[in-house]
Amino acid sequence: MKNQSGDEQSSFEKRAQELLRDSADQLDGATRSRLTQARHAALAQLGSSSGHRWLQVALPGGAVAAAAVVGLILWNGMGPQAGGSNAMEDLELLADAEGYDLSQEPDLDFIEWAAAMGDTKAGT
Amino acid sequence: MPACQVLPFPLLIPAAKAEFPAGRRPFMAESTAHALNSFLADVERRAFRMARMALRHDADALDAVQDAMLQLARRYADRPAAEWRPLFYRILENRIRDLQRRRAVRGRVLAWMPWVRDEDDATPDPVQLAPDPSPGPVAQLEGEQIGVALQAAIGMLPARQREAFLLRNLEGLDVAATAAAMGCSEGSVKTHYSRALQHLREQLGEFRP
Repeated sequence: MKNQSGDEQSSFEKRAQELLRDSADQLDGATRSRLTQARHAALAQLGSSSGHRWLQVALPGGAVAAAAVVGLILWNGMGPQAGGSNAMEDLELLADAEGYDLSQEPDLDFIEWAAAMGDTKAGT
Repeated sequence: MPACQVLPFPLLIPAAKAEFPAGRRPFMAESTAHALNSFLADVERRAFRMARMALRHDADALDAVQDAMLQLARRYADRPAAEWRPLFYRILENRIRDLQRRRAVRGRVLAWMPWVRDEDDATPDPVQLAPDPSPGPVAQLEGEQIGVALQAAIGMLPARQREAFLLRNLEGLDVAATAAAMGCSEGSVKTHYSRALQHLREQLGEFRP
């Protein structure tokens, strides 16, 4: 073999080549066995790769569809809301432990009147 | 399970044939499978040596070679057999770099978390960290230390120099094939090879007969 400048190999290169190739030939049995197993596993891919081709097409498409659905849900949830925010306010009021307790209000007639006025205004 | 393409050529490699699930037929021609098997059997030991010198770790080297085999079979088996060698070594080198990067990142992270033990590196095994100890017959005759020192010195080269030197001297590729495997120009190969040779000579001196 000629070296990079087109000259014959130097003795250094020849010797290095011999040593390296000998070392590759002298691998222990366990390593050789692992390499053989790896080769057989790679060859087994030859028969199975076509079976997964539909996955290679379907998976990206499915991911895009799933992202679109999630985006649609989020977009709807962040849009203008008619009654949703009121429901949240109600929940906050109910959960507020320091809120006004209507059951302890003695003037129930006033409360009923205020509620009736509220309904009347809402109806108009 | 989708039906696979059925060709009139059965795959006759016993070990590989045993891997196919029931009802699945191999689609690759017998000649291609045999050719790929022969190719991989031819390169696997040298590929392991290359990976071992770069990674200095047996298990990582085996992983790198296995991944390169799998990728070649999965993606490039239908390419002309003449292209397999440079493709295989390019895949292998990429895998080696991935493992080296992963190891470096893991080292940086673990440096910030000294209380976390890395299972792979928690107890450094001096045998694993040492240069590959198995010399060839020539090294045994001339002294085992020469082969060990050579492999250790190659392992210390910059990646591109190591790659050029091993592809030329261990795999026996010419400059053009080495350039194809490395994904660079022939001029770059010559430069990397020349620098590698210079470094190794400086470290090892001329081998004495």
